Amino acid sequence: MSNDTDESLSEETPSFLAPRRKQLLIGRRGVVVSTLSTVVIVGGLLTVFYLARGGREVRHFYFDPHDMWQAFVGDHDKGLSSVGRGLLTNIWVFLVSEVFILIFGLTIAWTRMSRSPVLMPFRILATVYSDIFRGIPVLLVFLLVGYGLPPLQIGFISNLSVATYGCIALTLTYSAYVAEVFRAGIYSVPHGQLLAARSLGLTNATTMRRVILPQAVRTVIPPLLNDFISLQKDTALLSILGVVEAVNAGTIYQDTQFNSSGLMVASLLFLAMTIPLTRFTDGLITRDRKRRLASS
Amino acid sequence: MRNLRLSLAGLITLSTLATVSLSTGASANAAALPALSSCKTLIGSEEFTKGKLTVGTDDPAYTPWFVNNTPSNGNGYESAMTYAIAKLLGVKKSNVVWIHEPFDASFAPGNKKFDFDINEISYTAARAQVVTFSNSYYDVQQSIVALKTGKIVKNHTPAELKTYQYGDQVGTTGLTYINQNIKPTKSVRVYPSLDNAVSALNAGQIDAIVVDTPDGQFMASNGSHEITNAQKKNIGVQIGQFPSVGEHYGLLFQKGNKLVGCVNSALATLRTNGTMAALQKKWLSIYTSVPVIKP
Repeated sequence: MSNDTDESLSEETPSFLAPRRKQLLIGRRGVVVSTLSTVVIVGGLLTVFYLARGGREVRHFYFDPHDMWQAFVGDHDKGLSSVGRGLLTNIWVFLVSEVFILIFGLTIAWTRMSRSPVLMPFRILATVYSDIFRGIPVLLVFLLVGYGLPPLQIGFISNLSVATYGCIALTLTYSAYVAEVFRAGIYSVPHGQLLAARSLGLTNATTMRRVILPQAVRTVIPPLLNDFISLQKDTALLSILGVVEAVNAGTIYQDTQFNSSGLMVASLLFLAMTIPLTRFTDGLITRDRKRRLASS
Repeated sequence: MRNLRLSLAGLITLSTLATVSLSTGASANAAALPALSSCKTLIGSEEFTKGKLTVGTDDPAYTPWFVNNTPSNGNGYESAMTYAIAKLLGVKKSNVVWIHEPFDASFAPGNKKFDFDINEISYTAARAQVVTFSNSYYDVQQSIVALKTGKIVKNHTPAELKTYQYGDQVGTTGLTYINQNIKPTKSVRVYPSLDNAVSALNAGQIDAIVVDTPDGQFMASNGSHEITNAQKKNIGVQIGQFPSVGEHYGLLFQKGNKLVGCVNSALATLRTNGTMAALQKKWLSIYTSVPVIKP
């Protein structure tokens, strides 16, 4: 938090071009000031939380250690599901969906950018697809897929597991977003690269594979990871289809015991999943920026 | 609906309506009940809004507990019960104010915006640490609802019951009942609302739902549009109800609210003078002929 304020106070002009270390810590005074302001702000918030009139009640309702542990491990005899076990469902659904999203996303992007006249109907389809699925709330896609496909009675498609329907819903929605990210990335590669590659005698496909995509992928990795962070959280929507994943297990605990600590456990577990990814994304952005600054 | 069974071992198996005198024994402390005459003065000083009795319930308010989602019309068991209590406490009908209180909000920390909440909430010891419950105003049992075409309609011995895919609404007694008493081999699907569970039943994703007997009977009756086919015909059936486990509904109060004593006095009077049984007969009478099955 305090780092941001230091950045704006930096004497370097223009400050955003200066090496990051320099922006952050202007000598020893900077360290002292930033530490102090962190302690004051964080300490102040904690004090308010602890001394508020209803603080005790709120702490018990959301952060009771006993309830948090109970919710984490679950208790089958009392009909309480384990939030920790629920998270495993979130994780596998996330991983499976991610793979399919990357494949479909790239396919759609490729189709939309193709020039061949034969592919015209597919181009229209791909455009309509990404318009529709970026426009419908994910929740509704879950309901449509989860409650709409089974009664249709079309072979195996109507007999999949509920979590699989969740994967399908997530893939349908996120592929549309990811396709746009890929498209933007491919368009961000300067046209000269294409011309140069073609003049070297490379085919269209080879140009794409060897010249354009490697450069595009580097640009799209941070926004892609961003999409995957929100994908991780959207796996919680599986609960609408009855899957007992982390958030659903937390809600079961809450509604049964009248205590929301289980939901806090779910939040903490989600944080434990997403924070490494957010930090990694930030690191990538910093590294990329440094490299670009060095080359210019 | 939003309820959990009372975990009292060894309570006698009783049919829903025959429990009049026995079931409150678990939580009643008859000696401490204040006289109704003294309540008329006490209630004035304790009310959330002075001069009004503020009562919370969820929206939508389900039949047969309410009728037409209008708590203030006095129809339906919980609405009628509320006005019967108000009358004994000396509150005029026009001074009963209904507010919308979602179930999750009714037990959240902080000052409650109602005098009591009436929303088919079952008493449990764990819940009673967070809020205060009145004594029972309805003793409830769990029942099985399925599609008329389901295999479970004919095959529901205790051993067979274990083999089905169940689904239920989060936080309900039904859900706990499945896990504790039926103990199915497939893990239960848990939905945010009963409507989602019904959608799953219609879609063939689950074989059965376990709900409070009156709710189950309503879901399977022709007046309900919950479980329907393309011709809008009801295709649900209530297979039977399980023996009582001593579960009962209580009115929900802010922890330590002094009004609960007076409301308990009113409930005791309604029980002894037969009003409670009469209201159950009037609003829940179709629910008396449900066969009992074993988990």
